[in-house]
Amino acid sequence: MIGILICQITLSIILAAIFLFRPSLTKATAWKIVAFIGLSVLPGLCLIGGMNTHVQRSETTKFCTSCHIMVPYGQSLYIDDANHIPAQHFQNQRVPVDMACYSCHADYTIYGPLNDKIRGLTRIYMQYVSTPLDPAGIRIPGGFQNAQCLHCHAAARSFMENPVHAAMMDSLNSNHVSCLGSGCHDTAHDIANLSHEKFWKPVQ
Amino acid sequence: MKLAQVGIRRLLQISSALIIAGLLFEIVSLLWFHPLSFVLFAFVAAALIGLGILVYLVSIVLAVSPNPANH
Repeated sequence: MIGILICQITLSIILAAIFLFRPSLTKATAWKIVAFIGLSVLPGLCLIGGMNTHVQRSETTKFCTSCHIMVPYGQSLYIDDANHIPAQHFQNQRVPVDMACYSCHADYTIYGPLNDKIRGLTRIYMQYVSTPLDPAGIRIPGGFQNAQCLHCHAAARSFMENPVHAAMMDSLNSNHVSCLGSGCHDTAHDIANLSHEKFWKPVQ
Repeated sequence: MKLAQVGIRRLLQISSALIIAGLLFEIVSLLWFHPLSFVLFAFVAAALIGLGILVYLVSIVLAVSPNPANH
């Protein structure tokens, strides 16, 4: 996919270079059309393609854990303990492995992806311009929302038939009781104790 | 050669240069797998390409302008 986009960009560069060195060509009508394509349509398509590629790339686990601050969070996905919710989801492929972070931390609302990108840019700003955060001190603004769990689990038979879940469905939907902070599923990304954990090594 | 034509050609050259620079930055951002590559694309490449397209569109408007100075 990136290969096709780079070919398109190269073609666009060649066309733009023609008009950089020979702008007088646009006297002819045919060259006017070529100029319109080369200096407006193609660069516009390159922009859309680039944005699409970057947005898709920013949703991958590899991209998230390429930030220094996220490295311990990536390591926590390999903790060999079924009580660790992110590790359990990652290792058992309950979320797509290559989009593990985004699956649980995406804001599933209409402007959610945009909010996620703005939050990510804020973190980049803090990392390179302002004061870098301590990995253990990172907290999700507003806390982890149940909607991010219920997005997948709410319709699952095993979830719905669980009497504990059924009894507190209203509280879960309204976020009065947190899935993570209520003593039920409260071990997530325990990066403070990473050095004491045993890690799962995937069989290649 | 009229002065307006020279101006429009200059705008075309500026537009081409901005677009080429933006596209080169876009290639770098696509080949560089790093969180900053998104920043490079969004704030440098996209801005240069967008500005280049805008300058080109301005040159078209000037070229078709009914102002006798442009004919």
